[in-house]
Amino acid sequence: AKSVSISVEGMTCSSCVQSIEQHLGKMNGIHNIKVSLEDKNAVVIYDSKLQTPVTLQEAICDMGFDATLAD
Amino acid sequence: LQKHEFFVDMTCEGCSNAVTRVLHRLGGVNFDIDLPNKKVYIDSEHNVDTLLETLKKTGKNASYLGEKSAQ
Ligand SMILES: [Cu+2]
Ligand SMILES: [Cu+2]
Repeated sequence: AKSVSISVEGMTCSSCVQSIEQHLGKMNGIHNIKVSLEDKNAVVIYDSKLQTPVTLQEAICDMGFDATLAD
Repeated sequence: LQKHEFFVDMTCEGCSNAVTRVLHRLGGVNFDIDLPNKKVYIDSEHNVDTLLETLKKTGKNASYLGEKSAQ
């Protein structure tokens, strides 16, 4: 499993955090996800055969948040 | 003019911003968001199924309430 940190802009409360955690948690190949409102990021542990940092970033963008990959 | 009325379980501005973004991304929509009442009014060339699917991308509960005539 690999880990990636994704910056997420646009979250304002804990329900934003929860909806991202729940939504990504349902995707294939996600082992763990921790979203932080304060740090404005999502740390995802994923199976690299099923997901890539870009597919994870896009999944968050599709939900209407601004997600970017730090390099 | 008829608008489609949807319920979207929004709790804060983060939620309504997320709804705004997914609708903008879809394109071809005119919409108003009533955050306190958890309603989204959409006038669009897209059909109801497409609109509902787009709203659900935010990860929030959403349902179609019907047509509403707008002033
Ligand atoms: Cu929120
Ligand atoms: Cu919210």
